[in-house]
Amino acid sequence: MKSLPDSPFSKKKKSCPFTAAGTKDIDYKDIETLSRFITEKGKILPRRISGVSDYHQRNLVQAIKRARYMALLPFVSEAQ
Amino acid sequence: MQKQRKYLYEGMYILSAVLSEEARQKALDKITSGITEKGGEIQKMFDQGRRKMAYDINKRREGHYFILYFTAFSKTIEQLWKEYHLNEDLLRFMTIRTNEVPEKIEFQPLPES
Repeated sequence: MKSLPDSPFSKKKKSCPFTAAGTKDIDYKDIETLSRFITEKGKILPRRISGVSDYHQRNLVQAIKRARYMALLPFVSEAQ
Repeated sequence: MQKQRKYLYEGMYILSAVLSEEARQKALDKITSGITEKGGEIQKMFDQGRRKMAYDINKRREGHYFILYFTAFSKTIEQLWKEYHLNEDLLRFMTIRTNEVPEKIEFQPLPES
């Protein structure tokens, strides 16, 4: 039997980069990692786009908010 | 009587970058002595150096970052915060509970997917 072609509506399953790396805690001082999960404007990327697992997203959000408070990350970055 | 508990804390401090070397050391001593006077112990200190801040705090663009690891009684943290709010050289501070003191502040980058 011929295998069906991939439906154009089927979603590609995203995998969590933190789970893959075996990260337990996300540190607010790790700006390089955190800045991968914010938009140009400084907003936190939603889980449906980044594919981060629920557990890690909650940790990530707290880490980003702490980093913002300590002026490591911007609350809003103005358009260039 | 309620028993006082000691915990390990991680504190990040942003000192004003316009301070002279001497004044900065003085401000730092004020922070560390504040902890030790209340029965706390400094475990480790990291000098992160000058950094451009992501936004202005008190009209300052740059800050000198310090990270302190210390043990202290949970009740004294509240008193410390009150002191910190009165300290004008201290632009921003944050103390959070941690479980361990790291050897150095370094992070592994996430593998590219």
